[in-house]
Amino acid sequence: MIEFLRRLFKIKPQPKSVLTPEKVLKRKPKRWIMNLLFTIAMMAAVAYSFNKATYNEIRLRTFDISFQTMIRQLGMINWDFFFGREPWEFVDGIVFMTIQTLAIAFLGTLLGAILALPFGFLASKNIVGKHVAVFGDFLLTVIRVFPEIILAIILVKGFGMNAFAGLLTIGLHSIGMLGKLFSETIDAMDKSPLEALDAVGATTFDKIRYGIIPQVLPDLTSVALYRLDINVRSASVLGIIGAGGLGTTLLLAGDNWGWDTIGAIMIAIIVMVVTVDIVSSYLRNKLI
Amino acid sequence: MLQFVDVIKTYPNGVQALRGVNLKIADGEFVAIIGLSGAGKSTLLRAINKMIPITSGKVEIDGIDVSTIKGRRLRMLRRSIGMIFQSFNLVKRMSVFNNVLMGRVAFHSAFLTLFGVFPKEDKLLALQSLDTMGILDKAFIRADQLSGGQQQRVALARALTQKPKLILADEPVASLDPITTVQVMDDFARINRDFGITIVANMHHVDLALKYATRIIGIREGTVVFDGLSSEINDQILVDIYGRSLKHDEVLGE
Amino acid sequence: MNKIALPNGKFVVKPFNKMWIVLPILVGLVVLFWQFIRMDPAFQPENIKLDQLKIILVKLFTPKGNRTWEDYFKFMLKLENPLIATLKMCFAGTIIGSLLAIPFAILSSKNIVKYPPIYWGFRTLLNLFRTIPMVVLAIIAVLFIGTGLLAGIIAITLFTFGVMSKMLYEVIETVDMNPYEALESTGANRVTAFRFAVVPQIMPIFISYLLYVFEINIRASAILAYVGAEGLGVAIKDNTLYNYDRVGATIMVLLVLVLIIQTFSGWVRRRLQ
Repeated sequence: MIEFLRRLFKIKPQPKSVLTPEKVLKRKPKRWIMNLLFTIAMMAAVAYSFNKATYNEIRLRTFDISFQTMIRQLGMINWDFFFGREPWEFVDGIVFMTIQTLAIAFLGTLLGAILALPFGFLASKNIVGKHVAVFGDFLLTVIRVFPEIILAIILVKGFGMNAFAGLLTIGLHSIGMLGKLFSETIDAMDKSPLEALDAVGATTFDKIRYGIIPQVLPDLTSVALYRLDINVRSASVLGIIGAGGLGTTLLLAGDNWGWDTIGAIMIAIIVMVVTVDIVSSYLRNKLI
Repeated sequence: MLQFVDVIKTYPNGVQALRGVNLKIADGEFVAIIGLSGAGKSTLLRAINKMIPITSGKVEIDGIDVSTIKGRRLRMLRRSIGMIFQSFNLVKRMSVFNNVLMGRVAFHSAFLTLFGVFPKEDKLLALQSLDTMGILDKAFIRADQLSGGQQQRVALARALTQKPKLILADEPVASLDPITTVQVMDDFARINRDFGITIVANMHHVDLALKYATRIIGIREGTVVFDGLSSEINDQILVDIYGRSLKHDEVLGE
Repeated sequence: MNKIALPNGKFVVKPFNKMWIVLPILVGLVVLFWQFIRMDPAFQPENIKLDQLKIILVKLFTPKGNRTWEDYFKFMLKLENPLIATLKMCFAGTIIGSLLAIPFAILSSKNIVKYPPIYWGFRTLLNLFRTIPMVVLAIIAVLFIGTGLLAGIIAITLFTFGVMSKMLYEVIETVDMNPYEALESTGANRVTAFRFAVVPQIMPIFISYLLYVFEINIRASAILAYVGAEGLGVAIKDNTLYNYDRVGATIMVLLVLVLIIQTFSGWVRRRLQ
């Protein structure tokens, strides 16, 4: 029967296949074609991005002069601007703005951390169970993905162009990441004390206060300190849309940014960010 | 021919790994180096292809002083020496075939190989090596999909693809189970016999060394304390090498 | 005070609680920093009302005055060019910046460069460079080549470079160096050994970082419009005073874009594992 079918469809009996290096070589998957096409497509897309990329031709042509000016002026920091002396006011100066940036970042992180606590519990399987946790996690993802700048634009519109709007922006935006990391910390902790508290008849609030908080506080603080690092960076630019802090000085310096002001702002940002970085990583190391 | 003349190796931290080693290994030999861990076996082996540079003395391969060459000439020498490692050292995310092809990388100028372009003969050679090791059917599987014994065979195929005169093996079976250990050691013996490739292997298991190697070199605290045929080994010599009688994990036991 | 006496005469000494140091410092910092928020001339606490925010949200996400919902959505369609500009800036910037980061990441890796002054030098440079915000980079780019899309590309390129180089060298330092040793033992030079032993290990992570940074750039690049680059931010900036509904429409488009890219990159990253 099989023989008949073979003849009918003219199928030759398959020789028992023996693998030889030559045969295997022919079977080699041609991955490189896909890779090449992908690379070419990527490069074409990059090239297309530069197509009609607008710029100021005169400025570009005087690039060398700009460069020389930069080298010459970078050392000439505008100290009046730095300390907010005449013709500026102290509250417009870089020193004030730097501290205000720190204030926005610090208070914002604190606010975010406090608000993130309930969210962290809401997204933690240990506390609220699997189903609610999925919902809480989704909520945190939405907050995390929502662009900080848009939040700032909305809040600046609502509360005016001031540092408070910046503080709120940082605080609300931080909830996303802090809440997620909080919930992970809570899920990873040792559950046996909760059982013990259950055994002595503790309420949910008691369990959180005496069973969970003491265990997770160092980790939560460490996460918040890490977030402070990030927030100092964002707080230093949110001013450009009116949310206070160093970014504001970029506006105050006018549209004609000169190297004397840019240099001062850059120094302030670098010193501030590096300092916060060092302090926060020192404290985080101490916590562990 | 491989020759060690008064080789001394002192690490920057002051540890003296080799204290005046003199050796001669002829072509086609199967040599096992035994000794306690930390006795200098690994250093001795790696001094041969200068993966570890020696402090003083001479390591000669076919009249070339390995200890003085560097750069291109060193790489030329290395490509004629296969090397097998305890943890196989495969690129786990690459296919078996590409791993074996790595044996040919040093034979070509860098530009084309950087893009993964190899001549057809090389590809065929790689597959032939896989065929020799009996794992031709695994050619396009990712290396991390294979068992430990199969991975070590891939490493052996990689070494074979170099068409080496000499294969160095650093504890080749130490992370394998007893059954695959025997299979892989059989492979070494076959390569040694069929292709006449010299094999120098560090061995943790003494009984395996005695079974497969024709010659045993015993190292203790950086000096050669025994050098002779495996048939000459007796308990007294083992005590000389190990400073004590063997622990049960140093014999495979069959 | 720290002694607690038991009725039977024994007592235990309570150790000093560090909270008594940390808490006052924390409160002090809060009070001090709050002064700097309050000193902001534009901040009048008595003027802040929560219903103000509600009004704004309504203004943002409903059509203005005599405009209809049709106008609202039609405006979204008009955003085609700014949208493409945003994508162009972020795409080119992410790709070029990431490629630029590769050599610097290699030079900062302990396991590849075995000479401490080199990798510490590069790390310090990169760390300092990374502190400069994207906006400041954009301002500098504008100073050199004027306003426009190119300044945006350059700012995002430099920003990506800073972020990527750090993430990359941290990955390179975690790779399995055994294959590298094996490649060196076959006589391969260091470049080839890196290409075949390290690159396959870091490639999937590199691509997933690439997508991650692209996401960040899309979200962050809106701000670049305020210093003279292009993209969706321009539509926000131009309408920010009178046409709240247009700002809202642009925000919606940006959110949808972020969502799409987030979903896509999540899908790719899951497949890479």
